[in-house]
Amino acid sequence: MIRNYFKIAWRNLKNKKLYTTIHILGLFAGISFALLIAVFVWQELQVNKNLKNATQQYILTSHWKNPNMGADFATLGPLAKSLKENYPNLVANYYRWDGITSVIANGETNFREGIQLGDESLLKMYGFPLLHGNAEKAFDNPFSVVIKAEKAIKFFGKTDVVGERVTIQNFEGANHEFTISGVLPEISENSVSQFFEKDDNGFFIAKNSATFFDRAKFQDWQSHIFISFLELQPGKTAEDLKLPIQKLINTHASEEIQRNLQIIPVKLTDYYLEKDNGTISRLLFTLAFIGLFILLMAIINFINISISHSGSRMREIGIRKVLGGRRKQLILQFLSESIILTAIATILACIAYSLFRPWFGELIGKELLSLSQLPAYFLVFPILLIGLVGILSGLYPAVVLSSYKSIDALNGKLKNSFSGETLRRALLGFQFITALIVLIAAVIVGQQVNYFFGKGLGYEKEYVVTASVPRDWTPEGVQKMKTIRNNFEKIPSVESVSLSYEIPNSNNGFQITSFKAGENPDLAVAAQGFVADEAYLKTYKIPLLAGKNLQANEPNANNVAINKKAVKTYGFKNVNEAIGQQLIIVGEDEPLTITGVFDDFHFESMQQKIKPQVMFNVNANAIYRYFSFKLKPNSVTEGLAEINKQWQVLMPGTSFEYKFMDETLANLYAGEIRFKKAANTATILALLIALLGIFGMVALSIDKRLKEIAIRKVLGASVKNISYLFVKEFLIVMGISIVIACPLVYWLMQLWLDNYAYRITIGLTPFITAFVMVCSITVILILLQTLKIAIANPVNSLRTE
Amino acid sequence: MLLELNNIFKWVSQGGSRIFLLKDINLQVEEGEFISIMGPSGSGKSTLLNVIGMLDNFQEGEYNFLNESVHSMKEKNRSKLYKEYIGFVFQAYHLIDELTVYENIETPLLYKGIKSSERKALVADMLDRFNIVGKKDLFPSQLSGGQQQLVGIARALIAKPKLILADEPTGNLNSKQSEEIMQLFKELNTEGVTIIQATHSEANAAYGSRTLHLLDGGRNHL
Repeated sequence: MIRNYFKIAWRNLKNKKLYTTIHILGLFAGISFALLIAVFVWQELQVNKNLKNATQQYILTSHWKNPNMGADFATLGPLAKSLKENYPNLVANYYRWDGITSVIANGETNFREGIQLGDESLLKMYGFPLLHGNAEKAFDNPFSVVIKAEKAIKFFGKTDVVGERVTIQNFEGANHEFTISGVLPEISENSVSQFFEKDDNGFFIAKNSATFFDRAKFQDWQSHIFISFLELQPGKTAEDLKLPIQKLINTHASEEIQRNLQIIPVKLTDYYLEKDNGTISRLLFTLAFIGLFILLMAIINFINISISHSGSRMREIGIRKVLGGRRKQLILQFLSESIILTAIATILACIAYSLFRPWFGELIGKELLSLSQLPAYFLVFPILLIGLVGILSGLYPAVVLSSYKSIDALNGKLKNSFSGETLRRALLGFQFITALIVLIAAVIVGQQVNYFFGKGLGYEKEYVVTASVPRDWTPEGVQKMKTIRNNFEKIPSVESVSLSYEIPNSNNGFQITSFKAGENPDLAVAAQGFVADEAYLKTYKIPLLAGKNLQANEPNANNVAINKKAVKTYGFKNVNEAIGQQLIIVGEDEPLTITGVFDDFHFESMQQKIKPQVMFNVNANAIYRYFSFKLKPNSVTEGLAEINKQWQVLMPGTSFEYKFMDETLANLYAGEIRFKKAANTATILALLIALLGIFGMVALSIDKRLKEIAIRKVLGASVKNISYLFVKEFLIVMGISIVIACPLVYWLMQLWLDNYAYRITIGLTPFITAFVMVCSITVILILLQTLKIAIANPVNSLRTE
Repeated sequence: MLLELNNIFKWVSQGGSRIFLLKDINLQVEEGEFISIMGPSGSGKSTLLNVIGMLDNFQEGEYNFLNESVHSMKEKNRSKLYKEYIGFVFQAYHLIDELTVYENIETPLLYKGIKSSERKALVADMLDRFNIVGKKDLFPSQLSGGQQQLVGIARALIAKPKLILADEPTGNLNSKQSEEIMQLFKELNTEGVTIIQATHSEANAAYGSRTLHLLDGGRNHL
């Protein structure tokens, strides 16, 4: 019997190629998308779950009263170590690290690389295996380095590089040889070896080499730049850490820190999903929701088209009933059809997965696992999916179709039951609404993302490229850099060059907490500290509002420029009043003198409000990281080539690795850009599925009204009259959908835009764009189908039998 | 007695007044009879066949089939009854387009839950008897009208019914095919199958052992 069902189902599908294609296409689109999202969500949920003793692994996060005072992912240097030493029954192990970037060279090959300088416990604590080398002894000797396999290939072209040497530069510009003691294979994603998403820390050095870098003050209770992990003893929880942490801070840390800092240990298994206010878990929820919705739309589509299609099955149903088919048997028959269709769609989706994987990976900024990398129990899901979607999408048509009275079915009398018709309209309406919502949302997201890159930035990003420079943070180093800068400036296609510590990528070097001289120290505010040269404002075209620009030969380290926001925050009446005034940094004697005020610009993403900024002169504060080049519009390529040439001469042994400001911004807004792409994809899918739904509905209407159309034509109706008949029917559903969709999407997008301190206002454009698009596509789709009928000879449809 | 209709009324209400499809029908059918129902279009021939075949309901009257009272029976038992004893033949053949000749004939047996080996034997027997073994793998669209109706009759017979209901079985056929089909009915009747046919044609009606005339409004007249 079952075999018989499948045979019939198969033939039915083969005979009706168009319907089968629509069915499979719709389901395929839905399932493919859902599959991609499912794998991504699963993958994200696995982060940190594969570490050794994953449930006992914690990270110490810092909550500062004022978030400007310090990063929340880093904490006080000696805290983790002291916890382990003082409470061995509570803490089993710890790992802290400090991230630095420096030039690493193997002979002539040299790159700027991220280095993770941390405790020796790294490999053992998390059970990281080594591809080559001995994990037990990897960090025994100073000047040992463990590297990731990809870096081994980058530098040596092979992975078996234990015993090879690389030269690493410190901040004074000195070089030292490091011996490679281990090679890390690609390990499943975790927050220990890849803390930041874009992180490419590929070199792990233990703190027994720390003195060479003269930066990592692992013993300093004032330094809160260490990412610190703890492994708790079995049975202990974060709650048990509370008192010990408080006690240690009260004993060792300064009063200011005691007042402002609260340490919260977070389970590593939760940390990844919940960091940055749960960005990841929110993204996962949103994606899962979108995926479900698209799948739901595909199922609804299936139901709609199946019912629409039922007209042609009526007679068969009637005969089967007369021949003794029970209702249950008929339901089973229809279910087997939908299960076959779902199975085909699912199998196709699995095959297509490998094609979509790279594309989707790019979209979400993360490589997706291939299906073969998934654990075996994932096999259950396609089977479950086939069963579930097959039954869900087939049940309603099966029940409806099998419920027709045999004699009516036999005579082809399709009862136009009100509820069935209304239900189908409602389902179609649901599809319209979804399509409209995603479409409008996509347009609004696009507008906001364009806004990020538009005029509102406060500086000019066009033709600006930035490049990291080798460090020599001494007054002589600065002078040398300035000479090099002046050389670059002589290149004809270069407009100006600036040496600075910050570029507008949201990473600034330090915070200063200060107040207006003569005011109450309790009113001190935190500001972002910048270090730049006199060409900075010119290079980025940031207007100077009052006072003087930074001076080229400034001897005084405490002469600063501030932004407009700072003028207001410190309590000056206007920009001119601030000039010549003094600021007192909390805990320091030397006051700062304001010599200039520049206009506000977006240093961070527009999610953040512009903060007060204090710009120090690099001439007297010897730290720097970047050159920013403003190129002349017509000669960008030549400019870059010329800079590269000069770079090799002026700074031999380093390479000119530049980034356009646009790329830097794209990194800053990676999440939003991804969201935009995801919204666009969802829009295309939703539209596709909705259109398939409309297609099915039109087909049904035409099927039912074939005779009516013929009669109308005989009576003299024009092609236009007839097409309008059908268009009208859909325009009503569309109208209602618009009325429901608009307020809903308006509300949703307001909610999203509220995340941004700087945002567009929602205008009419997205709505009108969406209406015009959806309406015109619908009408075209209807016309395409109706025209054929409207033009056909009516005699053919009027002939009976 | 195979079946008995006593004072059957069937009507539809339209605008407050009743339009009678069947009005006071009385009919007794013995096993082995071959009855022709005649009457003009709209006289209720098909309706009467549907009522006898238990595919359609009626409002008033008594219907006894093999001494069971159909009018007081539940839907489920009724369909069990007709599946067991009645075979249908249609004017438009009503073969399932997606199934081959073989599968069309097999379908009622599938619904009856008959075992595969037995099914094969029964279908083979039927194909042989109707001389359509060579056509068993063809689809209905590949057959002529006469051949399709042959398959339709074979399908009606496969479950060994006591009664065959044929609604204008030759209505779509030319006269030669029509004669062959009627001849076949005649043979089946002599083998003991009771047949009730609705027909327009006097010639076809003449194959029957008795003719029931329906007038407009469904009153019968013998």
